[in-house]
Amino acid sequence: MDPLALFLVFLKASALSIGGLSSLPLLRAELVVPHIATDDQVIQAIAIGRISTGPNGLYVVSLGYLVAGFVGAGVALVAATLPPLVIVPIATVSRRWLLTTPVAGLVRGVALATAGLLAATSVGILQAAGATAWWQLALAAAGVALSVQGKVHPALVIAIGAAVGILLAR
Amino acid sequence: MLARLTRSWIAVGTQSVGGGTSTLLLIRRLAVERERWLSAREFAESWALSQLSLGIHLVALAGLLGQRVAGWRGVAAAVGGMLVPAAAITVALTAGYEAIASSPLARAALAGIAPVTAGMTLATAVLLIRSTARHGRALAIVDVLVSIAALAASALLAVSAVVAIAAGAAVGAVALGRERPTSRDIQMG
Repeated sequence: MDPLALFLVFLKASALSIGGLSSLPLLRAELVVPHIATDDQVIQAIAIGRISTGPNGLYVVSLGYLVAGFVGAGVALVAATLPPLVIVPIATVSRRWLLTTPVAGLVRGVALATAGLLAATSVGILQAAGATAWWQLALAAAGVALSVQGKVHPALVIAIGAAVGILLAR
Repeated sequence: MLARLTRSWIAVGTQSVGGGTSTLLLIRRLAVERERWLSAREFAESWALSQLSLGIHLVALAGLLGQRVAGWRGVAAAVGGMLVPAAAITVALTAGYEAIASSPLARAALAGIAPVTAGMTLATAVLLIRSTARHGRALAIVDVLVSIAALAASALLAVSAVVAIAAGAAVGAVALGRERPTSRDIQMG
């Protein structure tokens, strides 16, 4: 895939999502379905994004690197940086307008729809990885519980998954 | 001044392992407690504005704070400082993983990592609903139904993600606007 096309895919995913991991359903639809990336790569990127420093949304940099090396990483970084910054000039000009009821509703609608898509994506990842053994389903449930509760560090949660995989999948 | 600003944001980007809340806390400590760029109340308002932004909210927050401190050069210093070194670390970790990805040990680890990331993705959905759904039982039920409708449209009817998001935006602008975000939403991150 040429860099410009890849940039546009990442840009679209960022511009149509609200919040870091929210770009995942769009990226999966545009990269995994046409076989540009694999679900394994998506899983690796999410895990590395959680272990690495900085916003979780930087998982796209990992995915970009897996798909197209350093160019892919750079393209993904720029594409993820631009849409959030649109708020800066808008906020200086019309802070009031941003806090009106229709804007709040629009943002809420996008966030809620994205939440539904993320739920579908999580099931999709599980199916694509063939992760349906009892211990893998238990790990998925633990991943949900620990992440919602938010007391255990995400990097540690990933490490637990890796350790259990090494013990049981070999 | 700009160099100091950049250094502060590099620290935020490289010290916040795991992202999300830990990054937000570091930014808050930097902006409100250490540098006193703005009050706790103003910070909460900036975070509320950031949550209206497209894409990564923490990038929007860095942009808003950088702009406040030093205009557009401040935006570049804050966003670049927070993201570029963190992205470099992410690339290094990815490259390191790629080098061992085909080993049996890494493949076994991935069999455990895959369900965990699936679980984390579902947790993100839950947290997103929790922070955006309105208070009051009737309003909250309507909001959760929007998420369920998107889930069903995607999983059962193979509706594309773009269409589902656009539908959510339209429904939201028309029907989900009543009641402003509360301070609890703002703290949730």
